[in-house]
Amino acid sequence: MIKIKIDLEKILLALFFAFILFVSLGSLFNHNIKHEFPFAYFASDAFQHQVRAEAIKDMGNFKYEAAYISKGIEGIEGRYPPVLYPLAVILSHALGVETYDSILITVVFFAIIGSFIMYFIIKNFSKTAALLSLPLSLIIFSHPVSTGFLWGHWPSLLSQSFLLLFFWAVMRLDLDKSFLIIAVVLSAITLTHTSEAIFAMLFLALFFGIKLLAKKLSVRDIKIVAISIALFFIISFYWLVIFQNTWAKSETYNFVVQPIWDGNPGFYIAGFGFLLIPMIAGLIFSLPKLKQLHVSLILAFTMLIAGFLNYIGFGLRSFQARFFWPIYLSVFFGFGLYALLKFIIRKWNFTYTAVIFIVFSLLFVGMVKFPIIKQTSYNVIPSIPYANVPTGPGIMNPLHWEALEWISKNTPEDSKAYFFYGDIYSQDALLRNSKRFHAQVVPDDFIDAINKREIRRVYDTEFPGDSGGGIITRPSFFSFYNKENTLDEDLFGKKDICQFDYYIFDKASRQEAFAQYNLLIANEMVTKNFIEPVFENQLIVILKNNNPGDDCIEERSF
Amino acid sequence: MIALKKEVFDTVKKEFKFIGILFLLALVIFKIAFFKEDLMILFRTVLSLFWLFALPGYFIMLYWKEKLEFTERFVVGIALSAAIIGILSYYIGLLGLNIKYHMFVLPLVLIVSGIVINMRK
Repeated sequence: MIKIKIDLEKILLALFFAFILFVSLGSLFNHNIKHEFPFAYFASDAFQHQVRAEAIKDMGNFKYEAAYISKGIEGIEGRYPPVLYPLAVILSHALGVETYDSILITVVFFAIIGSFIMYFIIKNFSKTAALLSLPLSLIIFSHPVSTGFLWGHWPSLLSQSFLLLFFWAVMRLDLDKSFLIIAVVLSAITLTHTSEAIFAMLFLALFFGIKLLAKKLSVRDIKIVAISIALFFIISFYWLVIFQNTWAKSETYNFVVQPIWDGNPGFYIAGFGFLLIPMIAGLIFSLPKLKQLHVSLILAFTMLIAGFLNYIGFGLRSFQARFFWPIYLSVFFGFGLYALLKFIIRKWNFTYTAVIFIVFSLLFVGMVKFPIIKQTSYNVIPSIPYANVPTGPGIMNPLHWEALEWISKNTPEDSKAYFFYGDIYSQDALLRNSKRFHAQVVPDDFIDAINKREIRRVYDTEFPGDSGGGIITRPSFFSFYNKENTLDEDLFGKKDICQFDYYIFDKASRQEAFAQYNLLIANEMVTKNFIEPVFENQLIVILKNNNPGDDCIEERSF
Repeated sequence: MIALKKEVFDTVKKEFKFIGILFLLALVIFKIAFFKEDLMILFRTVLSLFWLFALPGYFIMLYWKEKLEFTERFVVGIALSAAIIGILSYYIGLLGLNIKYHMFVLPLVLIVSGIVINMRK
């Protein structure tokens, strides 16, 4: 009998893995692993990370940020928390797929693994509650929680997967040499997305605070934590020096009350809809159990608090923590559901657990719509959220991708590319896929020129690039120098387009006038005998300027 | 000592059957989730995930086999292996070993380390 129960548990876990993989990466990727261009990329940040991984793949390491990411400046220190990128590159090599596929596979796969780790954490508290909790993890792929995956909050998501591993490691303090796991995982969190380390510390403070209050804190516990933190500093030292001289200086703490995540489809607690009923019950029932030091409960309270730190200045970081609320808070759901149902079902057995597990899995997968329960993709009470990631290419399309790849493979490495108006270019990190120093016309000035019916040689121009943490060089181990301050004037303002080597024109646009104006400029340029078309597809034409600096266009009215 | 080594060997032998089953199961599940994809690509995908994360994680976590059941060790090992490989890859890259070799070197180092540590335990 016991053996059957154990096997059934494994079957349910396998079933859950199939469900979650299907509705997450399966749906996002249109049920393919390999794609011809970045697929399911819905915001500039997604391209930011994809391009960095690609650059690391090209360079072989992350000593420097690629120049085409750093506004054309060479020798800029690689300062972004690094761990996501090598994982994506290694997976790219191993799977034989491009980094734009492997990086998203990495993030989603480890989010799924994170939900299983949470299962084992809850199982340490109650196996029934663990199984009842697990389906809630599917909600990380519901709207708007899935924004984290779609809009490229990838380092934060991967770091939170490691954060779940950290919680597990602290739960297993009793293991021989547990300090090794704690130290490595804390380093991984810090080197993936540093702000999550603050949540790890918050958890440690709560966990050991409660331990102290419950008079269960031992010298061994203190020793393990002390050794873990010492080892963490040793492992992370090199990168912490970079962090201290980049991000720590550019992103200082400010007390701001930010209830709403402006410009982003943030997730709010009411988004759980009807599920809040068992969750609140679970939260209330778990309060008396806190003294028993169940990690699943303490981590749930920690991350609930972490998700509300936007009221004291943690803004973005707190909203990012909410992307994993369905995992962190699942213990409240499972435990609450179990406790409530126990009032009705006195003699609980595994069959009840299995049936409820399957019912909620189907409900959260969104494959089965229960007629009596209103389900909506809009997280407004009363509703039940369910996994519903979009299946579609997102921002990129094969024609733009073909052009970007052409530039990266067919132009000299020191060439300068100028992008005229394109509908997708506002998500400017995607332009870095040209792997060349690039600039783009500022749309407002472009529109002004159309309105005034002028063909110009000088347009307002921006040089998009990643300046997060500062564009920093590192002359020696402890000395860092910010180059951005010295270059601002060069990077914005009116620019002579004739200085560039390549011009990229979109031949179609949602605003027909923009495309027509693009073509007008292109046609004007090719009248010069030193400018020639070198690439063309149905959407894009690229011109080459063989004489940069020369008079490349006649200024006139039209 | 020999008896202990035999015990480790027997555990690995027994649990490798589970790992084999999990590999096949993962392949089936990947085929369901990515039903439009070619089977060979899926085979390579699952094989890569096992080589990079599952196997190194398994051998590292083997150290705690007395206290943790197989499934928990297996799942936790996947994430732990990713944490170690991510950190090591960053540092080893800085030391000069091109990242294109890491997919061979790092899992192998973790697997061998896991075996050696368990033999010496």
